[in-house]
Amino acid sequence: MGVTNQALPSGYQLLNYRIDRQISRGGFSIVYRAFDDSGGPVAIKEYLPSSLVLRTEGDIVRASTAENLTSFRYGMKCFFEEGRALAKINHPNVVRVLNFFRANETVYMVMRYERGRTLQQQIQMRQDQVSERLVRHVFMHLLNGLRDVHTHKLLHLDIKPANVYLRTDGSPVLLDFGAARQTLTNTRPKLAPMYTPGFAAPEQYREPDRLGPWTDVYGIGASMFACLAAFAPQAADARLSEDHLVSAKKIWAGGYSDNLLEVIDWCLRLDPLERPQSVFALQKAIRDIPPRKRKLTFLDTLKKKLFSEVV
Amino acid sequence: MHFTIFQESRKGQRKVNQDRLAYTYSRETLLLVVADGMGGHAGGEIAAQIAVRLFIERFQQEAKPTLKNPLKFLQDSMLRAHQALGSYANQFSMLETPRTTCVACLVQSNYAYWAHVGDSRLYLFRKGGLIGQTKDHSKVQYLVDQGIIGADEIIDHPDRNKIFSCLGGMVDPVIDLSRRTPLRNGDLIVLCTDGLWSVYPQEEIARALTGTPILKSSPTLMREAELRGGPEGDNLSMIVVRWGPETLADEPTTTITETLGLGEFQTEIDRTLTLTDRKGAQRDLTDDEIERAIAEIQATIKRYRR
Repeated sequence: MGVTNQALPSGYQLLNYRIDRQISRGGFSIVYRAFDDSGGPVAIKEYLPSSLVLRTEGDIVRASTAENLTSFRYGMKCFFEEGRALAKINHPNVVRVLNFFRANETVYMVMRYERGRTLQQQIQMRQDQVSERLVRHVFMHLLNGLRDVHTHKLLHLDIKPANVYLRTDGSPVLLDFGAARQTLTNTRPKLAPMYTPGFAAPEQYREPDRLGPWTDVYGIGASMFACLAAFAPQAADARLSEDHLVSAKKIWAGGYSDNLLEVIDWCLRLDPLERPQSVFALQKAIRDIPPRKRKLTFLDTLKKKLFSEVV
Repeated sequence: MHFTIFQESRKGQRKVNQDRLAYTYSRETLLLVVADGMGGHAGGEIAAQIAVRLFIERFQQEAKPTLKNPLKFLQDSMLRAHQALGSYANQFSMLETPRTTCVACLVQSNYAYWAHVGDSRLYLFRKGGLIGQTKDHSKVQYLVDQGIIGADEIIDHPDRNKIFSCLGGMVDPVIDLSRRTPLRNGDLIVLCTDGLWSVYPQEEIARALTGTPILKSSPTLMREAELRGGPEGDNLSMIVVRWGPETLADEPTTTITETLGLGEFQTEIDRTLTLTDRKGAQRDLTDDEIERAIAEIQATIKRYRR
């Protein structure tokens, strides 16, 4: 289709917000930077599924056919899920929802505007290797936020560097809960699954019944892997048939602490039961990493030798 | 289907409008529904609103695009509305169940079917003459049937507001169902509440609407009726349908349903609301769900804002 949805123009007054510019455009929405009454910046996400082509001019969103209207409304439910999920969470490392309203025959989510760039951009822009310090810093904070998400019986289900925002002060914010479902409760997800190859866990492809904190843990592992590699690990569905993923420990031996590499490999296990079962378990494993290299004792050397021979 | 439709509700001199009315249609079937809520406080409005919405909701679930059994649909919807009012009262521990009258009409394959409870009425006019009507479930109507009073005495009778069947009452409603009635082009279907028929006799309604474009004559009729109601005037509501293509108006006013997609509906709920939110009532039920979801999210945002 050659037609795309038209973004709201700069200067457009949307309730008490004034649109400044489009920040990003996804499959289901357009995100704008806007200013509120007091001139403070906010990010506004407009529900506008691109596959339905609902606005070619003006501001009002219209479904072109009855079938489109049905799909439009159906997708809106997902948007509400995201709003519901985020409204409950007030954590410095999770995107903050400020308002939610209806206008132009669609719905809008107003979020706190963050300055910085995504982890994805950070990875791509770096010339040299991402430092272990940065990886640790970002993920320890991110896991605090994710733990709070899980406490609210929510799963993110789309953790990837593009959904992690790094503020100018270096602290991370978990974004885009578009895939979030209340799957920690008894209800099974009824909506069409959405996943990003490389970052989605194998159970997201095949066994939606087995989704759990360990599913987000896989996404964390894949994101850490991507930080080091600057590319995503092999997609989980492909790994299930033929696993070509080389362990982090093998690829970056010596470049990063063994412990960090072990944690990444642990998160990326195909069997959900073999991964850290909770964010807390994962945080504990990362914390257990000795912060500085200590000299190897004789016993350590012996252990290492034995291990490498066994492996 | 080709038809011209008009609907309006006026508050009269009352503080609130307890009348509710709506129509909705698929490509093949048209539903009209009018309810007149009873009782003090918000009860009457809520009852009428629930009844009308329930009809619309069920219609949109079942008219795909026709109803298998129109009369059964009408009867079931009346009963469901009655039950819904009971559970609503239960849910909010209301001392008194909200109650309402209800008259509903379906048109499908050139046949009309209708049902009613209480004293909201349907008239069917052909060439200016009355060929069908509902009979009120009221004490005065009973007195007329028994020959105790004349039909012309109904309007001034002291018991004129006493009805023995309604939705939400203590006993199950008496539901009258019509026959399957064939329609001809130019037939007029009128649904109205007592606020209208008590000041505007059916002969006058027939005269006012016959031979004129209904979108012109109906608003005049409503204005006139409200004036006649005087300082004590009740809420008054009316839906008028002229079946077939409109031949009297200068402008095209006919609704042609063939342009609707399969599974698509067009709905109009009355616009003269007093108590409940305007927005929610004007839109269909799915919209209502959207509003509720947004309200819920906004409440959550507030609750968690520290």
